[in-house]
Amino acid sequence: MRKNKVICGLVLLAILQLAWGSRADARELTYRLKWLFNASVAGDIYAEDKGYFTKAGLQVKIKEGGPGKDAIKEIELGQTDFGVASADQVIRALEKGAEVVVLFQIFQINPLQWIYRDTLPQITALSQLKGKSIGITFGGNDETIMNTLLAKGGIPKKDVKIYSVRFDFTPFLTKKVQIWPVYRNSQGVILKNRLQAEGENVRFLNPADFGVNFVANSVITSKKMIETDPDIVDKFQTALLAAWRDAMAPANQESTLASIAARDKDNNAAITKLQLLATRELTGTQNFGSIDKDAWIQTEQIMLQEQQIKRPVNIQDWLHK
Amino acid sequence: MLFRRIYQFLLVYFAGISGLLLVKLLVGLSDYVIPGIPLIFATAGETAKGYFFDVLNTLQVTVLGQVISIILAFTVGIAGRKSSWIGSFIKMIAYNIQAYPIVALAPIIFILLGDGFIPRLLIASMICYFPLLLSVLGVMSSPVKDIEHFYIITGKMRWQLEVKIRAFENLSKLATVISGSATLAMAGAIVAEFIAADAGIGYSIRIALYQSDLAKILVALFMIGIVISIYQGLLESASERIQKAWAISSGN
Repeated sequence: MRKNKVICGLVLLAILQLAWGSRADARELTYRLKWLFNASVAGDIYAEDKGYFTKAGLQVKIKEGGPGKDAIKEIELGQTDFGVASADQVIRALEKGAEVVVLFQIFQINPLQWIYRDTLPQITALSQLKGKSIGITFGGNDETIMNTLLAKGGIPKKDVKIYSVRFDFTPFLTKKVQIWPVYRNSQGVILKNRLQAEGENVRFLNPADFGVNFVANSVITSKKMIETDPDIVDKFQTALLAAWRDAMAPANQESTLASIAARDKDNNAAITKLQLLATRELTGTQNFGSIDKDAWIQTEQIMLQEQQIKRPVNIQDWLHK
Repeated sequence: MLFRRIYQFLLVYFAGISGLLLVKLLVGLSDYVIPGIPLIFATAGETAKGYFFDVLNTLQVTVLGQVISIILAFTVGIAGRKSSWIGSFIKMIAYNIQAYPIVALAPIIFILLGDGFIPRLLIASMICYFPLLLSVLGVMSSPVKDIEHFYIITGKMRWQLEVKIRAFENLSKLATVISGSATLAMAGAIVAEFIAADAGIGYSIRIALYQSDLAKILVALFMIGIVISIYQGLLESASERIQKAWAISSGN
């Protein structure tokens, strides 16, 4: 009997904690990244390390991301105030009734690309994919993007050899698969470096070159946060954008690398430098942080065509002005 | 036994779902965080059939993996029952292999065996066998002094007889461990599919996780629960019958 009461009490406490958590304290903000600390989140690390948030009068705790971490869920549960999510995550969440708003877009070019050895002719037309063995993570963004590329190129799936991608690169390294999906500014750099050491050169297949602009990571918050604390949202956005811009500036390269090195446990200075350069290319220089509305609309259309979502979510209404 | 297993599972499953729905209601969460009943039913309508066959696919690996791990556990357990150097060496190898995380071993397994049925089977067996091994070692290392003493002093004791005596005297314990290991074999098969395979329910769960689709995961968990309950219920029924038959044949 006593044991039952204790269990009931614990369940009640857990529910209260969830409910209470949704009332986030605006003075102690949390920001959930999508991935681990490395060069691909250079601007986020730089913001904390160089005190951009503090200067804006905010106290922000940056939390590392990783597999299983979902900023949108955490925002809704009140466990975090801001986060990074991929466009497909945002669109899926909106379809299911979540109310998240995109504040700014970190990458102007999607880092999700395909790597291939230069022993293959450079892919300049989608028809060249015919007959190739291509890696795809079933259920992942790369599946959606590759399906769109194949459809755009008029290539039936039976005309390519699809290989299910898992967490290691062995099938690509052993040449079992010719074209392999990578994040251009993280795994892409590592693979390129590794193959170059073996005397092999690589190229990257960027879907944007073929008119497929599938948006990648963006900074998000809840609609409620924008309505109740617009000043905080504004300060956070301004501080983080400034940090990203400064972190990507060539003049601050050494300082940015030092900030990353302090956080990245597996830091390899040479690789991190290359990853930072690749990240800089993807974030853009002229239109840094801007929301590519057309790309968002195309991303939603692709997801509808690929039946990743069942109804339109009018994504343009959820992009912060 | 079979029906009791199924309704016990249904009780636990629906209690879990009710808890989730209660949290959803109290906190006002969207279907993205916790799916509502209509979404769960709609998802079940779309995926239940496919997931059922996925679970059956996983069950094939589970059953084979369990058989292999039972054979392995008994072989190692019998060989390692003595406190000799060889016995302790075998135990050390068995413990060490278990200490390595499967995720770290997986790339080696895939390089050697490719990615298909065999690696799934191997990983399922590896995860299932260790608890079995502990029980078998416990049983095989504990002499049944009253009975064994007779054979020892009459000079008729052989290792086969020793194993038979210890297994027979602990039949109930071994039967419980073997039927209980079905869940471990299933968990092992799912982990293997989650890491690498391109078939089975673990693979489908991985895809659902990529899409942050909790409704699909709940449907998958339901299918896994039902199938493993039936399998375990059948194993328990079979072990009861075997024990009864042995009891009759031994005149107890």
